[in-house]
Amino acid sequence: MNTRLRNAAPWLFPLALALVPLVFPDPYLLAVLTSAGIFIIGAISLNLLLGYTGQLSLGHVAFFGLGAYTSALASLGFDIGIGFGLRITLQPQPVWLGFIAAIIVAGGFGWLLGRLAFRVRGAYFVIITICFAQVLRMVALNWIELTQGPMALISIPPFSLWLPGQGVVPLYSKAQNYWLVLGVAVLAFIVVRQLVESRIGRALVALRANESLARSVGIRVTHYLIIAAVVSAGIAGAAGSLFAHYVRIVDPDVFLFIYTVTMVIMVITGGKGTLWGPVVGGLIFGLIPDLLRGRAAPEAQWVLYGVAMILFVMFLPRGIVPALASLKSRA
Amino acid sequence: MDQALQHLVNGTVLGGTYALLGIGLTLIFGVMRVVNFTHGELYAFGAYMTYAFVSLLGVNFFAALALATLCGVALGALIELVLLRSMRKADIDSVMLVMIGASLVLQNGEMWAWGGVAKLVPNPFNGSPLVFGPVSVLPLRLFVLVVSAALLLGFWLMLDRTRAGVAMRATFQDPETAALMGVRIGWVNTATFAIGSGLAAAAGALLGPVFMVSPTMGDLVGLKAFAIVILGGLGSLPGATLGGFALGFVEEYAGGYLSTEYRDAFGFLLIILVLALKPQGLVPAKERIG
Amino acid sequence: MINRRSLLLASLATPALATRGFAADPIKIGMTQPLTGAVAASGNYVANGAKIATEVLNRAGGVLGRPLELILEDNKSNPREAVASVEKLVLRDRVPVLIGAWSSTFTLAIMPKLIEYKVPMVVETSSASRITTAGNPWVFRIAPTSEMEAIAFSALLSKFTPAMKKVDFLSVNNDFGRGAAEKFSAALAARGIAIGKTETMTPEATDLAAQLTALKQSDGDTVFVTTGVEQMTLALRQAVEQRLGKRIVTTGGSFPDQLLANPLPPGNDSFHILFYAPWFPERAPHPAIARTYTQEWNKKGWEFAGLTEGFRGYDAMLTVVEAIKLAGKPEAEAIRAALWNVKIPGVNGDIAFTKEGPAGQESGQNRPNVSILKLSEGKTSLL
Repeated sequence: MNTRLRNAAPWLFPLALALVPLVFPDPYLLAVLTSAGIFIIGAISLNLLLGYTGQLSLGHVAFFGLGAYTSALASLGFDIGIGFGLRITLQPQPVWLGFIAAIIVAGGFGWLLGRLAFRVRGAYFVIITICFAQVLRMVALNWIELTQGPMALISIPPFSLWLPGQGVVPLYSKAQNYWLVLGVAVLAFIVVRQLVESRIGRALVALRANESLARSVGIRVTHYLIIAAVVSAGIAGAAGSLFAHYVRIVDPDVFLFIYTVTMVIMVITGGKGTLWGPVVGGLIFGLIPDLLRGRAAPEAQWVLYGVAMILFVMFLPRGIVPALASLKSRA
Repeated sequence: MDQALQHLVNGTVLGGTYALLGIGLTLIFGVMRVVNFTHGELYAFGAYMTYAFVSLLGVNFFAALALATLCGVALGALIELVLLRSMRKADIDSVMLVMIGASLVLQNGEMWAWGGVAKLVPNPFNGSPLVFGPVSVLPLRLFVLVVSAALLLGFWLMLDRTRAGVAMRATFQDPETAALMGVRIGWVNTATFAIGSGLAAAAGALLGPVFMVSPTMGDLVGLKAFAIVILGGLGSLPGATLGGFALGFVEEYAGGYLSTEYRDAFGFLLIILVLALKPQGLVPAKERIG
Repeated sequence: MINRRSLLLASLATPALATRGFAADPIKIGMTQPLTGAVAASGNYVANGAKIATEVLNRAGGVLGRPLELILEDNKSNPREAVASVEKLVLRDRVPVLIGAWSSTFTLAIMPKLIEYKVPMVVETSSASRITTAGNPWVFRIAPTSEMEAIAFSALLSKFTPAMKKVDFLSVNNDFGRGAAEKFSAALAARGIAIGKTETMTPEATDLAAQLTALKQSDGDTVFVTTGVEQMTLALRQAVEQRLGKRIVTTGGSFPDQLLANPLPPGNDSFHILFYAPWFPERAPHPAIARTYTQEWNKKGWEFAGLTEGFRGYDAMLTVVEAIKLAGKPEAEAIRAALWNVKIPGVNGDIAFTKEGPAGQESGQNRPNVSILKLSEGKTSLL
């Protein structure tokens, strides 16, 4: 393989994915790939924390859910009382504005959680992040005026985008949504790659390897961790926004711990701390549920997930991608 | 005022079982440095075993409670031997991930085995409440409180008076020195995990008949056990007892006077507050063993 | 890399193509129900009702000379999975008509997809009024709204002695619970009954002591409890414990069957609004149909009390099959048009749809019957 081809290789994959709707125009296949894609974006963002900073953040779904609610609320509009007879009213906004708002709000909460949680490490950090997502779920359940609580936000408009020759149009078709998710996934991938290959990324890797050493040579550990947390949360927020406008309903269950676990499994299986890990893991665990639908009981499927998680952590702790890479280099 | 007294009784009953849950979790963390994500599932397991013994096999209710607890001990020992023993040198995050995987297997295995429909466990107690002036309490709840207290006491005595307890405490304080002194860390770990699991199963066996038994009953309880332990300080046994009762009272009073909707949220808010202000918990780690 | 990926894609695409290939013989009917998760108990009952209806209908020769095939999908008590299950049923199995999805939240989640894929759905349980008022012409509901239930109930008020003067509510915190509290308040207020407070509980809450203690402080004489069957059972048991001392009426058509085997102590009678009371099939509007349904169910050895909810699936299946027969072909648009002409007897009474919602895009709504069951020390009687 010559160098030029090798440089182009990473682009062949998204290009091939982009051709899927043309080659296999089956709407069910596209629906499955689109929802898998949304979770892959979530996994890519989680990988930044889990893989590159080594912080086991188990409240990641909080940012996903925040993004979903922010984007949905921005595009539906709301009118809430904030006490003292004051009200905040927002008219329905275009969906792309909601998308940007989702990134900003999720990123903001990423900063907040970072300030709070990075003061502690290990088990404390894990538990604080879990509790963070739980509290958000409780708020979503009970702040009915804003979130509709368990009645869920419904009739969320589909994503709309400016398309050449058509102006701003809502994306109804499966293929359009598929390309949108693919596009955002590629962007998220590039953002994470740029970040980990920058000075910030090298600092993160240094502190993952040995935090006290990194601290002693003057790396501002918390500062870098918070940058990673903000970027990670922002990308998760973007995924949440895509989710809201694709599924077109958001309810407090988007904050469930099980979704974090799904993203964690994707990252671990694929290979944490590798750029392609979450993509590979995400494709596997994003597609399995629909392959198994109707063939195995849903409980059996989750038992399988659990077993896979245990086996990977115990016997292939670095994940599939590094294992394949070492196989290849040995060959 | 009447209402306040009733809340006091309800909070005490709730706190007793919370303490039982917290102690098991904090013991396992203190001795083994393992954050046990299967704790809630062991709680559900205890409840299902009680149901199985009482309703399917016709075993006496009290015997069923004891048998269910023993099943929890056995399952805990099994988890330790199969999963944790080979991971003693692994980092804390990997162990957490394995335990999350194990909890997925246990929870969905339970759902597979028992179906999604919640079960009611028959019990021999009279369903009418005992009435003391303005306060009422079910005999079953009183029984649960008494047994929880007895289990807590028994557990303290075991730590204090038995050789196994001494070995556990030594490992708790300093695993390396304990190993040098001839403590067999491997077996201490197995015993610790088994006992911690047994306490969780006992809590489930006791509360299953009070509420209902369902495969998802462990979810919220598992998270609450974390709250209790963090409140008291991770790895602190008196802290876990204190944290259990604190959470019971906070939920009961905040639920009664502030907002029933946010009842379950108060615990989690409390943790974030405690961690933000006093990250080591209410009882600092130094005093963490009896 | 490319090779492996296209293999994966091919394996994904094949089942879809294959199913399309032999869509020859049976007529497929899709159903999405919560078979696992928080409200699994009720979802399984409804699914069982549809299963026995399929058997009964197939024994009678199916429809249009073809057998029926019920394709059941689990929505895991979760709106996202509800949508996923419908995408699978419509896009992969190509069903021309759906039945679903138990909870109002799941049904509301699915509704945009009905418009998108142009497939009609018979709603068998969900009670939120906005399901039929949202302007979705693909929705046909045989279940009563909370409002209809409340109005039907208020016509039976005279059966209660002593008469109701002031009522409070204990509701699960969702469309179902809040909707019931709101509509019953309105219907009872119109009859001159005072309305006290509403306490809510999260669907997964097990300890209801705080809510019950708060309700005990009210000077109302009756508490209306609206939630799924598990939490209903907990509420009834804990009401005894907290000495609530008020009459309890449950709404929504579920029945706490486990209290038959494990009765509450004497003096704690409760009342349950039901749409079908299986203890008394002879009192049903169409006793013959009710008897067939009840017998088939019992033959399976399923839990008897599940009959109180299973009829929803049974009636939904009868409705859908009648519509296919009237349409003359198993095609979505034809079935939608035919649903308006359905007029058949069901377990719960006559099934026929009237128009609701904005003109031009009305949804169908059926007018069901209610009865009130009294539960006393594990014994049931009709009020």
